Amino acid sequence: MLSESMKPGHFLRRILAVFAVVSFTGLISASELTLYTQRHYEFDEKLHQLFSERTGISIVVVKAASDELMARLQSEADRTPADLFLTADGGGLDRAKKAGLLQPLPDPAIANAVPATLKDADHQWVALTMRARVLYYSPDRVKAGELSSYEALADPQWRGRLAVRSSSNAYNQSLMAALVEANGAEDAKAWAAAVRGNMVRPPQGGDRDQIRVVAAGLADVAIANTYYLGLLATSEDAQDREAAAKVKIHFPNQDGRGTHVNISGAGIVKASKKAGDAAKFLAFLLSNEVQEMIAENTFEYPVTTTAKRSELQKSWGDFKADAMPFSVLGERNAEAVRLFDESGWE
Amino acid sequence: MPFAQRPEPVAAPPVVADVIRGFAGTRPRVPRPDRWGLLVTVVAALLLLPVAAVVLRLGGESTAWASLVETLLGKYLLNTLVLVALVVAMAMPLGILPAWLVSTCEFPGRRILSWMLILPLALPTYVAAFVFYRVPEAAIPHLVKIRTTFGVDAFLAAELALRYGLLSLMLAAVLSPYVYLAARSAFTRQCRVQIESARLLGDGVTRAFLRVALPAARPALVAGGAFVAMEVANDYGAVHFFGVPTLSAGIFRTWFGSGDLVAALRLAALMIATVVGLLALERLLRGRARYSAAGADSRPLARRRLVGVKALLAFSVCLLPLTVGFLYPVARLGHWAWLHLAAEGFALPEGLRLGQSLGLAAGTTVAAAFLAALFAYAARLRGTMPRRVFLSIAGLGYAIPGAVVAVGVLSVTGAVDRLHLPLLPMLGGTVAALAFAYAVRFFAIPLKLSEAGLERIGRPVEEASRVLGASPWRTFLAIDLPLLKGPLVAAAILLFVDLLKELPLTLILRPAGFETLATTAFSLASEARLQACAVPSLLVVAAGVLPLILLDRRLGTGSHHG
Repeated sequence: MLSESMKPGHFLRRILAVFAVVSFTGLISASELTLYTQRHYEFDEKLHQLFSERTGISIVVVKAASDELMARLQSEADRTPADLFLTADGGGLDRAKKAGLLQPLPDPAIANAVPATLKDADHQWVALTMRARVLYYSPDRVKAGELSSYEALADPQWRGRLAVRSSSNAYNQSLMAALVEANGAEDAKAWAAAVRGNMVRPPQGGDRDQIRVVAAGLADVAIANTYYLGLLATSEDAQDREAAAKVKIHFPNQDGRGTHVNISGAGIVKASKKAGDAAKFLAFLLSNEVQEMIAENTFEYPVTTTAKRSELQKSWGDFKADAMPFSVLGERNAEAVRLFDESGWE
Repeated sequence: MPFAQRPEPVAAPPVVADVIRGFAGTRPRVPRPDRWGLLVTVVAALLLLPVAAVVLRLGGESTAWASLVETLLGKYLLNTLVLVALVVAMAMPLGILPAWLVSTCEFPGRRILSWMLILPLALPTYVAAFVFYRVPEAAIPHLVKIRTTFGVDAFLAAELALRYGLLSLMLAAVLSPYVYLAARSAFTRQCRVQIESARLLGDGVTRAFLRVALPAARPALVAGGAFVAMEVANDYGAVHFFGVPTLSAGIFRTWFGSGDLVAALRLAALMIATVVGLLALERLLRGRARYSAAGADSRPLARRRLVGVKALLAFSVCLLPLTVGFLYPVARLGHWAWLHLAAEGFALPEGLRLGQSLGLAAGTTVAAAFLAALFAYAARLRGTMPRRVFLSIAGLGYAIPGAVVAVGVLSVTGAVDRLHLPLLPMLGGTVAALAFAYAVRFFAIPLKLSEAGLERIGRPVEEASRVLGASPWRTFLAIDLPLLKGPLVAAAILLFVDLLKELPLTLILRPAGFETLATTAFSLASEARLQACAVPSLLVVAAGVLPLILLDRRLGTGSHHG
């Protein structure tokens, strides 16, 4: 009565076989380090490959926003697969440390060439790269003398002329934290409300998009990190390269506390059982060779005193950096987010 | 949705069925543990757990909620409502007019258009957004002119209108197949008789359309529109790229920005309430009016032939949603992908894990489809009242945003992991947890189709099998499952496409180092590497197009039967 293919066993076996095959695809692992990272640069993949070639240790990456990764580390607790936590924001590292998610470096000497301001006093994290949050402007529509500080962007003369990304972004939150520390909460909130009011459009896109908007003539000034100028100038997209040629960098607050800088850095996850391999990876990233490769490729500033900046970075000029400790940025983060909310900067 | 079936099972005449039923009733029953009831209860409970976890947490302590209500909540709500209203308003004509034209008129290109119009379904809204969000850059010189001529305020208003307009049009075109499919099936099947009567009575085309076809198709059109509204409210990727802060964007921001999960979940509840509220409003407006389909007559509608300008016009109307919602974005992605591949020596972008993505989607699809058929069958074995309850519980996840389901699953796996049960490996951050979340979110698709399929098979065949001594399990495997093959394949196709496209849930739950095509595309686009992102994006679209073609054949209302 039943045809061959309709026999129950046959049909079921086929289903189970398909399921078994697909379930086990791609689940095989070898000696490896798992990175929870906020860093999102194409060049990082090349660095991971180089490290694997030299040490035989492969790198598995989970990319997400730093808050997302922290939430995940907390919920996974001692069963997390993560060995290293990398952020593109110093405040995030400090919060991870305070949340008890990190362990001290097994050998602090690997960070000897990093200045004390760029690493944790308890050796729980170390900076890997540095960047400044600067003003990009169109030299056609803005005279260099018109720009001075972050604070001055609240002036009504900038109405409909600014482009800045969302306040959900860690770079903006750390900048806000620095402003709260420097000027007080009320002042910082008023500043955020005024800057939001001066924006050419509601915040959208990343730093690159803000720079593009200035280059395209929609906005006159953007707030963005330094290295994006290098990334745009060397992009595969011709439009990006044209955009990079149309904007200039201004380092704000040179007459006062200095330009807000931030770091990308890393710490070893407390629950990791591969602290030795993880430290090897950090030492690799802090070597002069790799620091200078980063300066040439992601255009972030080196953090060691021995590594040299790239020619392109030198062309942007020297600047005075704000010496505010990154622990302050971490402590003030929640307040900064709340003030952003209250200011209406979404 | 009517599905073309394999040959209908021969329905036993009522008398025979009655005899069999009576015969079955005389068999002595051996009491034994009700395994089928247990199965239904366990599956329903598993699917309900994450949802319950979310509901329970709504009442928790929230630090950010009070200030959220004062500050951004109004903005989130307004943006959501405006965007939903705009998109639905645009998607309706973009879906209805082509559906009307392809089902009542004959013009060159009609056959191919009639199935191509469903293709935008294969394009996830976030992929469309990668393509469209930089389009306004082309308008910048004009905006600058507006600014120098009319001042800053006019310029700000123009910029806002341009961005909202483009986002709405894009979403409406991409989502229009929901309306199109509903309208096409209503026009060709249900309303055929009314439309033909209206014509016989001398009504013009426009009048027949406005006075007869539209009102009669209203329930179907509302269902299509509701899908559009839910998709818009649920969208995370597209609003992210266009900088429109909707509730869905607010959920991510509140959760990750201020770490306040409770406040984020309350936003999600509001979002669901918004969609439900819109549906209730429509019901209210419809009032007591009832529209019934006069006779399920499957003869095709006689189509009137269009020539000359009219044919060209009809063709263009159909081409609009197809171009905006599919042809242009795919052509653009194709160009980018070509540029990227040519520059990289035709190597796939790093981090692209095709096997993982397809394997997970296929595995989950097969498992969920099988389980759904079993569940629907088991639910049917158990009387009528609790069956309704179980079926709606199991289908609940479909109404809940992906991000919220993810939070619920995280709560459940977290709680289980903290118990440190012996032998049980950690669940959080595993492929299993992700597949479970997919099942919670999308179980409604195979379930609804299996249910409808079982309805069609009817009981006689099954009862005959039972009377002949087969166990329920054997009856299921030998009779119902093979007969359900049609609806199950259709369900599997829909499910597979949905799983490949899924973004927010996957972003939150994917295990370490695990990437789907969707997450790879999204992260590349977030890094503004549009040329590289075009490769995984196109793969998502391609993986969606092929099943859609198969599905259209199964739906059978397209070119093949029309």
